[in-house]
Amino acid sequence: MKRYLLSCLVLFFSTTFSAFAAPLGLPKVPIPSDNPQTEAKIKLGDKLFHEKRFSSTGEVSCSNCHVKEKTFTDGLKVSEGIKKLTGTRNAPTVVNAAYFTSLFWDGREPSLERQATQPFLNPVEMNLPNHDPILKIVRRDPEYAQAFKKVFGKAGEAITIKEVTQAIAAFERTLVSGESPFDRWYFGTEKAAISPDAKRGFEVFLTQGRCVSCHTVEQDHALFTDSKFHNIGVGFTKIAKDVDKMAVSYLQAAHKGESVDIKVLTNENVSELGRFAVTRKISDLGAFKTSTLRNIAKTAPYMHDGSLETLEEVVDFYNNGGKVEEEDPEVPFLSGGIRPLDLSDEQKADLEAFLKTLTSPNYQ
Amino acid sequence: MNNQKNSRLALLLPGLLVSGLAWADEFDTQDTYRWYQEYLEVVKEGEKLFHSARGDNTVSCDQCHPNASNTHPETYPKFQKQLGKVAALHEMINWCIRNTAEGQDLAADDPDMIALQAYIAFERRGVKFDPGKH
Amino acid sequence: MNRMNRREFLTSTSALVAACSLPMSLIEICQAKTADSFTFAFISDSHITHIKGNKFVRNWDKGLMKAVAEANLLTPRPDFTIYGGDLAQLGTKEELDHGMEIMTGVRGKVHYCVGEHDFYVDLGKAWQEVTGSKQYYSFDHKGVHFVVLNSILTFPEWMADSKWNKGMDRMKQMARLDNPKGSPFMVGEVQREWLEKDLAKVSTNTPLVVISHSPLQKIYKGWNFWTEDAEEVQAILKPFDKVTVLYGHVHQVQYNQIGNISFHAAMATAWPWPYPSSYAQSASYLPVLTVKMNRADPFQERDATGWQFINLHSGDVDVHYELANNTNRVVAFNRESGRPEDTAYQLAQHQIAAQKHY
Repeated sequence: MKRYLLSCLVLFFSTTFSAFAAPLGLPKVPIPSDNPQTEAKIKLGDKLFHEKRFSSTGEVSCSNCHVKEKTFTDGLKVSEGIKKLTGTRNAPTVVNAAYFTSLFWDGREPSLERQATQPFLNPVEMNLPNHDPILKIVRRDPEYAQAFKKVFGKAGEAITIKEVTQAIAAFERTLVSGESPFDRWYFGTEKAAISPDAKRGFEVFLTQGRCVSCHTVEQDHALFTDSKFHNIGVGFTKIAKDVDKMAVSYLQAAHKGESVDIKVLTNENVSELGRFAVTRKISDLGAFKTSTLRNIAKTAPYMHDGSLETLEEVVDFYNNGGKVEEEDPEVPFLSGGIRPLDLSDEQKADLEAFLKTLTSPNYQ
Repeated sequence: MNNQKNSRLALLLPGLLVSGLAWADEFDTQDTYRWYQEYLEVVKEGEKLFHSARGDNTVSCDQCHPNASNTHPETYPKFQKQLGKVAALHEMINWCIRNTAEGQDLAADDPDMIALQAYIAFERRGVKFDPGKH
Repeated sequence: MNRMNRREFLTSTSALVAACSLPMSLIEICQAKTADSFTFAFISDSHITHIKGNKFVRNWDKGLMKAVAEANLLTPRPDFTIYGGDLAQLGTKEELDHGMEIMTGVRGKVHYCVGEHDFYVDLGKAWQEVTGSKQYYSFDHKGVHFVVLNSILTFPEWMADSKWNKGMDRMKQMARLDNPKGSPFMVGEVQREWLEKDLAKVSTNTPLVVISHSPLQKIYKGWNFWTEDAEEVQAILKPFDKVTVLYGHVHQVQYNQIGNISFHAAMATAWPWPYPSSYAQSASYLPVLTVKMNRADPFQERDATGWQFINLHSGDVDVHYELANNTNRVVAFNRESGRPEDTAYQLAQHQIAAQKHY
């Protein structure tokens, strides 16, 4: 009898929670205590993620810029919102975003739930004047009303943007992927999961490439991001000459109450201020959040402004010490970790080969 | 027949015990003093290496670690952020040589590496062992 | 000091009163500005190092360039900049020239203080030529009397040219921090006499700011975090109501109050040093008041380096540490307790692991 109960328990746990178990190479997905995962909530979040009616033209949903078939990004330099209006920043992948401790390139929101509130209101994304049009739909549309009742036990006015974004976040928390060839080799036992040049590339990653300190690897998992902010020199030359005037005028505008979100996405120069726009710290000028490298081969173009198109360009950029061309001017605000690397052509190719092994099976 | 064998063994054993000085790890205070002096010679060599440039850029270890301070040899092996894994002291020494002093890695059993570790540990003598501490 | 939350602390200091003169990188409530408040930037310990030809150690160059670029962002502009010493690593003309080249990027006037690394190769000759500065001098600014000392001298017999084959031999002895054959820093009798005469002309209720490379305290002799005649110098400063000593050399956050004198150390732009207590083989005397800086991550070569700007109001000094890759620190003078205190971390329960993990 005991054995029967035990095997029932094992079956129960492995089927109910297998969807939420940590993939090979990743830690358990952090779930906030006020937004537990349930199948119904995830399904609702998925629907909301694809809902084009939450935009002023009825044509844009989260999935416009975060396309499943494109590893939840859009393959564009900078994203296009309503009427193909462009912003200033490259769409980050949603895959494994659940592990970040802050969201957006400048970390201006602390959670997936809070991140979801912003694109709806941005004039170059969904362009809604406020969240009311969304709430009108989810409260009145019968399918949504039923789903919200089932998931949150709420109806009518009780449904707020909080519930909407909690459902979206729950869906996003299922978009985690490990078990890449690298994971199977490094954390698993498959000695031949990656090629010899990729193995050499990983060695470069840990040593001469100096990548591991920001694109972190740990003893039993690898997030490939420290969730911190660094100025690595991308795009900063655009504002380097005027940065003092810009920083001051930005601070004056922020003091008047203008929204950071709208300013950074509608003004290319303000966008280059990076994390400074959020913290107003001098040493955060031009600093952006470290991206994860998982599935990086699939999420081109690269960097906050999409300015680097291929992994080769990225490796060259770092090898030059944070410059596109070796002769580009020095940026005094560069993060302390960036310096010329003196990698040989073979080392660069090996590094690229390693980066390509970070693609998970469901995004190949 | 067995009794004979046994009695022969019985005679042999004490003999072996008496001449066992040649078998066990016996040492006296003269040996330990001499060995400790030999060790201090290596510490001295390590101090010299620690205070001289390791690579192309004139930087020496003591510039950031006067008297080998803040090296924490008593905490290794431990998770080392800069290496992405649990690592031993000599691996972190190599990290510093490569990144800060812009020099070449040393093999773990290279006499220079042994000397550096001897000096680093010597300057930390008496401190409690604390493996794994960040 | 009783347990106090941050708001109570801020209202009890005059920090808020002077807020309007603070640069815009701070979010502060603006209140009435006092006529005698002003700010100045303080950059120190760059240790520009020549390798060969026109190659210099990139890391130290970058540190100074970053400090200069950031200091130039302060709005409104600080009244002037003080350089706290050790511009060069071995005091060679190449290093001093290269350092000055970077320093000329600073907007506004710079007052220079000499460090031992600038001095010992030729007893300050090249340094004086390149910076155009005297080794010790004083000046007045908006009612505050500034004194700049050469506090890295040592016993005349040790310094004398006759003792050394080459000036560079003498320099290299002083350059090694943990040198058992080193010689302690001092201000010396000549300068102490000059100081007494200079201060005789200053009324005791005039705020004093003393710029010194060595700490004018006795913290740890093994690394020359030490001024041999500290007590004599402090005695000369004793009659004054408000004295602040700003010093370099130690490459870490330190602050203290001895009688009427507040002491503040500057961060280096080049590299950090561990606290002396992390050397287990001898005793040291870091001021108990000091809340340590966050321990450095060596990968981030600017971690635990930085520069500072000083806000001076009614003679009280607040030091704002601009720290790369770290939360900035503010050590402000607390009128109630009569000593400098960190505005966020002074109480033990507010301190974070990185400040205790040495």
